[in-house]
Amino acid sequence: MRSPASHAIRMALILILLSVSVFPIYWMVVTSLTSSANLFADTPQLVPDPAQAFNYADTFSHTGVLIWLRNSAIVAIGTMVLSILLAILPAYALSRFRFRGKGALGFLLFATQMLPEAMLVVPLYAIFANLALLDTLGGLILANTAFTVPVITWILKGAIDGVPMEIEEAARVDGCSRIGIVLQVVVPVVAPTLAAASVIAFFHGWNEYVFAQTLVSSQYLRTASVGLASFVGELSTPIHTVMAIGVMYTLPAVLFYLMVQRYVVAGMTAGSVKG
Amino acid sequence: MTDAALRQPQLSRSPIARSERTARLDGNPWTPYLFAAPVVLYLLLFQGYPLLRELMLSFTQTSLLTPQTSHFVGMRNYAELAARPDFWRVIGVTALYTAICVVLAIALGLGAALLLDRPFRGRGIARALVTIPWAAPPVAVATVFAWTLNAQYGIFNHWLKLLDLEIGYESWLDNPRLALPAILFTTIWQIFPFSSVVLLAALQGVSEEVREAAQIDGADKLSIFKVAVWPTIRPTVALLVLFVTIWSLRRFDLIWVMTQGGPIGATKTLVIELYTRAFVARELGEAAAVGMVGLSIALVVTVVYFWATQRAERAEGRS
Repeated sequence: MRSPASHAIRMALILILLSVSVFPIYWMVVTSLTSSANLFADTPQLVPDPAQAFNYADTFSHTGVLIWLRNSAIVAIGTMVLSILLAILPAYALSRFRFRGKGALGFLLFATQMLPEAMLVVPLYAIFANLALLDTLGGLILANTAFTVPVITWILKGAIDGVPMEIEEAARVDGCSRIGIVLQVVVPVVAPTLAAASVIAFFHGWNEYVFAQTLVSSQYLRTASVGLASFVGELSTPIHTVMAIGVMYTLPAVLFYLMVQRYVVAGMTAGSVKG
Repeated sequence: MTDAALRQPQLSRSPIARSERTARLDGNPWTPYLFAAPVVLYLLLFQGYPLLRELMLSFTQTSLLTPQTSHFVGMRNYAELAARPDFWRVIGVTALYTAICVVLAIALGLGAALLLDRPFRGRGIARALVTIPWAAPPVAVATVFAWTLNAQYGIFNHWLKLLDLEIGYESWLDNPRLALPAILFTTIWQIFPFSSVVLLAALQGVSEEVREAAQIDGADKLSIFKVAVWPTIRPTVALLVLFVTIWSLRRFDLIWVMTQGGPIGATKTLVIELYTRAFVARELGEAAAVGMVGLSIALVVTVVYFWATQRAERAEGRS
């Protein structure tokens, strides 16, 4: 089992696995730094030579990428904040109370997983038109939250299940109200999971495409996913510009994810494995 | 960890005792409803009500351009879908796409999880790196894969040329035979990290005693897997099957950006067909009917999952 040969095979497999996982992102970065002439060379350059950082300056000045990234950030942060605010109390109720309709609430949260966003986009368009939410970033936040809040609730419920009742009782004896207990006692204890859940909601808002594509029409309210997708099949934009936008859109998310990865994985597995 | 803490003698509570305590703590029987009300209202407004409208829309003929002239046509949209051969092709593509995603994303995820489970130097970094695809935005993933699969300048064809295979120079996304494999490759690249992360967590539950006992008995790796590993992770695999199925039925962004369902319908899944009906053909009623078919399939899968898991639990209880 521990023979050198099997160890070598295992390490080789791990290296292949990691190369496959990382290569497309690496290739995006390389392409974004390659000069136009070298993009269409017979042999693709695995390391750009010379590296054209100028491509980025060019991208900033010729596309709306900075505004798109700002819009994506607004949508992602808004989705994150609203999801967490909405999810804490129902997560607590699901974890700590027995009540009629608890099963129905659990089913409602689960059922949202089955609905394709593309299916709800037409009726949401009509509803948003009535509520004056069309073509607003706030509307995107509301639509995205409908898809994140069930997952976040479920993850937080899993975390609250693990908080000993004794901690709450002590606060109760001290005369703390129920909401006070949730906010002052339970929330600090589940803070790592709360962080993980926030990140998951943030990513959903950052990555979302269907709603951003259909519920917003103004150029200056485009998110980065829509802005990037608008170049596909368009021949006038050089590929290194498209990839530069891709890098600016992908790398912050991936780096952020790598920083908080430990918490995200813990939160995600608590929610999905126990679920 | 916390479960273990709760099981210590001085803290142990039977479920009944605990719920009585909860009730006494509580005082107001309305508290859980007050806590749940905002989310329930929110989901009814932004999921339930749109779903109801979509259901009603599926019984009408409604144009995106003139929605006010919508009129009721009963089951006609569904009857027409059933009568169209290209719709059955959409069902076929969806089934194939979903089945291959489920099998490969979970199999590769399990393979990766088993590789990364036992300790080695750099394991933490390896575990982090392998999840990168999952953190990358799907639209960006679609864009970079479209570039690597480019017929003339894509690095993928360049490698095929180096291998001196007879294939190569193919325009992957424009070829009806190759577009679906290309889309599947991209999708699986993006989602297998999810199953590997979840399965890595599940592998924590594998009993070391059972594993070691099997090892002392001289069992080979496959037998150890069957005896110690598989029984522990089976419920997680079942749950992953459910989730990957539902997500594959829902997946839109990646396919839309790469092929828009083309060429000639080779990558047209139910969701792509729904979107095309609504926003290209501008027939909202027909689009809604397509959506309802997709949702029914998701419901059936879910019901089958719950039925199967309950049966498995009962079977385990008996043995």
